[in-house]
This record gives sequence, structure tokens and C-alpha cells, in this order.
Amino acid sequence: MSQETKFKCLKCGHEYVEKYAPDDDIERACPKCHSNSVRPEKPKKADVAEKK
Amino acid sequence: MAYSEVEEVDGYVGNFKVKVRKKARYVREEDCNSCAECAEVCPVVVPDEFQMGLSSRKAVYLPFPQAVPASYIIDMEACLGTNPIACGKCEEACEKVCIDYDMKDEIFELEVGVVVVATGMDVYDPTELDEYCYTRYDNVITSMEFERLICAGGATEGHFVRPSDRDVPQRIAFIQCVGSRNNAGDKGNRYCSNICCMNTVKDTLLLRDHYPDCECTVFYVDIRAFGKGFEDLYMRSREEGVKYIRGLPGEIRQDPETKNLFLTAENTLTGEVREYEFDAVVLSVGVIPRRDSALVKKLLSLSTTGDGFYMEAHPKLKPVDTPTRGVYICGCSESPKDVKDSVTQASAAAARAMTILNAGHVTVEAITAAIDPALCTGCGLCAKVCPFNAVEVDKEKKTAWVVSAMCMGCGNCGATCNQGAVTMGHFTDDQYYAQIDALLDEDAADKVFTFACNWCSYAGADNAGISRIQYPASPRLVRTMCSARVTEDFVLYAFVKGAPVVLVSGCHFADCHYIDANRQTVKRVYRLWDKLEKLGIRPERLQLEWISAAEGQKFARVMRGLEEMRQQVTAEEVEHTKKVLAEEWEKKLAREAKRKKKAEADESRDEVQVS
Ligand SMILES: [Zn+2]
Repeated sequence: MSQETKFKCLKCGHEYVEKYAPDDDIERACPKCHSNSVRPEKPKKADVAEKK
Repeated sequence: MAYSEVEEVDGYVGNFKVKVRKKARYVREEDCNSCAECAEVCPVVVPDEFQMGLSSRKAVYLPFPQAVPASYIIDMEACLGTNPIACGKCEEACEKVCIDYDMKDEIFELEVGVVVVATGMDVYDPTELDEYCYTRYDNVITSMEFERLICAGGATEGHFVRPSDRDVPQRIAFIQCVGSRNNAGDKGNRYCSNICCMNTVKDTLLLRDHYPDCECTVFYVDIRAFGKGFEDLYMRSREEGVKYIRGLPGEIRQDPETKNLFLTAENTLTGEVREYEFDAVVLSVGVIPRRDSALVKKLLSLSTTGDGFYMEAHPKLKPVDTPTRGVYICGCSESPKDVKDSVTQASAAAARAMTILNAGHVTVEAITAAIDPALCTGCGLCAKVCPFNAVEVDKEKKTAWVVSAMCMGCGNCGATCNQGAVTMGHFTDDQYYAQIDALLDEDAADKVFTFACNWCSYAGADNAGISRIQYPASPRLVRTMCSARVTEDFVLYAFVKGAPVVLVSGCHFADCHYIDANRQTVKRVYRLWDKLEKLGIRPERLQLEWISAAEGQKFARVMRGLEEMRQQVTAEEVEHTKKVLAEEWEKKLAREAKRKKKAEADESRDEVQVS
């Protein structure tokens, strides 16, 4: 299931939110600098606990 | 085999096993002489899908006039059958006793050497384009529906009538690029469907031939008449009095009484905006990949381009090959094209297929994977990531092996195996470590260490070079067949050797030459970022970029960015990284040595037992 996930561009530092699922087949790029070095933030333990 | 579907494909080039379901026709095709007496007595009437629903057919029917074999079929979903209400009229009428209500689907297992995919295309459904009111106004039809109306074998035997009142329309508009060339990408497709311009030119000539008094107007974006004789045909259409207006209508309005249609459009050549009245409008709809193309893609391990058409192994040098050896593509399954281009490409695909069949053997490049049974634990991770299903696993015997004829040498399995059991021919781990050593032994701090895939990013670097695009001198490239060959250890080792910045680069998702192997690259880089962060190393120092063979500019831009980044990495930071990772590296080497020792011990024990 896709979830709103925070991404951080490891090239320019820009942070943005986008739908993400570990198995989705989307080529990602930073909306600001177009670098492909965009890293999804892992869900925090608190979020996971909440879901449970 | 007509009226059949491929259900399974196993094996590999020269040894494909194909399971085909031949669907029951309920009419014995060997006896049927298409006398049509069954259809004459059949009481069930349903829309005829071949005529786009513009006419009807019976439950027992010939799919289309030129069908091969020329045998009737019973549509069992529509047929009243003999149960619960007895009909059976076709059975009574058939003198040759061809009807068999109990006929069953048959399954055939075929052994074939090669496979040619010629599955064709579908046409775009314009319902979603509100401005053209396709489903609201009867007299707005698609070019496919027009084809069935103007065709002598069509629903109206070649008489073009408008659906609302069956009158012959006098003023006909054609709207081009419906569902094609939409750069907004919200509705329809971005690509040009290739055939629609010339199809419309042909249609206008047909109309002028059938109805010399009719007025045809074509609303277009550009007329693309680039083929042999096409420009002449286009000019003939203009000379025949067909009006061409450069600009697409923004809306269509209908007169509720006459059902005439009013189009508002701007002629972009003159700037004039006006309303035009027509009796009928033809939407020149684009071509889309077959709606079931994903099924064939899965069956044959094919890849598709961003627009959904099957991807060729190389756009210039292998235009009918696919990433799977022994599978060829042609026609509209590869991209939208006309009959002539389809025939040309089909001939090429057939010739490529014959080359392999005539040779009787396949030469495989010496870059395929091999698995060392002594180190393999049979975990099956390699099989899971292989895009070509080339790895077979025996869970009981705890081992796996590679079918060389299926392996294309991407190296994804090599990067995935955590037992060190996979060796990639000519791209071994040792060769990579040697390259990393050679490039970083001296002045490592001055270098941007780059892994570049053979097909795209390495070629992108070449493109930058031959285009004389300036970029910094710091990049040092190591070529991999696929970015998925880059193991986590290669990256870590580059940092151990003092690389300030490491780049992993590969093909764009839609261009991956190994179907979808580069998705594993992303997963590996994500894991590496986590690992680096955990060890107190800035994850930013590992970068990921997709660079195509044509993107020399992007390669140069990325390299300029990485050079800036390299200059910001301090000597202390590099030393800290080396220190932290050196400890990790020692542990890794110790683990590996232990594993090798155990494997050797196991092997010698096996030998003793055998002797
Ligand atoms: Zn960015």
C-alpha cells in the first residue's frame, strides 16, 4: 500500500512528500534539482506502533 | 492455430515449451463450409463487435468475412443452447452436421525454438475527452467506426451514413491527434500514434470518391506525411478540395433538433477563432498497446517502454530482438506503425528467428553467471531477483544453478548472493576490487568514483565526450553490465579506499536492458544509505543517478554537481570513513574466509564419502 512518505534529496537537501510503497515501480527524482538521489524517510517507530 | 490462446511459456531459446488453449468453437471447422444456414435460423441477435457494434450478428457467426479458417463459431454466452430451453435450430439446419454443443477446449503443448510476438494494438477510447462528447452525441464517431461504415464489407456495405438519422452527411469534420500527443499527460498519451494523419488523408479521399459533393475539413496539429508517396497523397487530398485547418476544436456543441454539430476552433495559422457546422465528426483516435499486453509481457519476460509498448533489445542494432533471448517482436506490439512498416519489421523478426533455427545452436556471450555449488546454500535469493528466470533452485539439495542460454549477464544475482557463490563471467568480484584498487590507490581524494552501466550511463559519458561537453576531470568510471551488478560491498570498498564521493548510475526505469533489474539497484542504494548513516557516514556521499545513452548533458551536469560535492568532503571525514569501514571490512573478510573454509571442508568430506 502506498503511503504519504517524506523524501529527502541527498543532492540539494530539498524535502518533499510523495506517495511511496517499497515495491512501487516509479522512477523518482527531486522536484527541485531533478537528482535521482532521493531517499524515503523510514516510518518512525511511533507511527508503526500507532498503526498496530 | 486460430481462436487459441497461449497460457504458459517455459524453457529458453531453442527449447521453449508453449501451452496453448484452443478454444471450443462448437462447430467442427474441418466440416463447416460457411454456408450460413445455421446463422439464418439462429434466433439470437447480439451486437457485432467486429463492426464496432454498428450492426448485429447471430449467436452462431463468422467472426469476420475474411476469417481463416472460414468456419462458424457459436458464442456460448449468447447461445440458447439445448438446455434449459431447447433451441438447437442451428443443429437442425446444418446439413453437414458440424454443430457440436459438447465440444471442449483443447490444450496443446508445443515445443518451439523461438517465439515471435506480433500481438498488435488496441485503439484509444475517447470517452474520457469531455470536449469531444463522444458518448453524448450520436454523430461523433471514431475513425475505426468510420472505417466499418465506409468499408464495402462493413455494417452499411460501404454507405457512410450518420448514426442519428442514417442520412449521408454532407459536411464532415475530422479531428486529429485524439488521444495522442498530449503533453500534459493527464488524458490520452504523449506519443504520436504514427498512422492517424495518413489514415485521415486516405479517408478524405475515399469520401470524395464515394460522395463527390461532400465537404471534408480536417482539424490538425501537424500533418505528418513522411513516408514514401505520403506527401503526394496529402497533396492530392488538398487538391480534391479537402480543407485543412491547423488547430484543434476546443468544444463540440449539438443542435438538439437537427443533431448537427458545431465546433469552435482557432486556426492557429491565421489567428481566426470561429464556429463551424458539420453533419458528422470523425475523431481520429490514436493507437495504444493491447490491453492484455501485460499478460504476454509476463509470459515471455519482456520489458516495456514508458508508453507500454514492448521494448527492443537495442533501438538501432537489435530492433526486433527483446531482452529475452529467442523472443522477437514486430508490428504494433513494438510501437504504432502502418501496414508497410509492420510487414518490414515482421520480415526482419522472421529472419532473425530463422538465423537461430538454421544455426541449430546459440552462442552465448561469456558474461553469464555461474554458481559454485560448494558455496551455495540454496537460499534462492538469486532466483528471486533474476529478471529472466534463468536460475533454478533445488531447495532439498540446497543448491542452485544457472541456465546459461537464459542468462543475459546482468549480474543482479551476483550482487544479491550473500554467500559469494555467484561468479559473473568477465565481471567477477575480484576484477571489480582490482579496478577499485587501481583507480583509488593514488590520490583517491581527488576522484569521484562512478559505477556506470554498459548500456546507458557509460554510453551517456561517451555521448558527453563525443559531443565535446565540458565536465570536471575527477570522475573515474567502472563499467558494469547493469547497475544491479553493483554490490553493497563494492561501494563500501570504494569508501574504504578513500573515495570522497561514490556514484551508482544506470538506465532510466523505462530503458533498463534487463527488464527491471535496476529496481534492485534502488533497493541496494536505500540499504547502503541506511548503513552509512548508522556508521556515522554522511549518506549524501553515495549518489544515485539514471542517465541515458543520449544524456551527455545530464552526465556532465551530474559530474559538475559531484565535483562540487567532492570538494566539500574534508580529509578528516574521509579518514573517519576509512577507519570505521576498515573495521567492518575486516569482519566481512573474516566471515568470508570462514565460509570458504567450511565449504572446502564439506567438499573434501563429500569426496571421502564417495571414495
Ligand atoms: Zn534535489
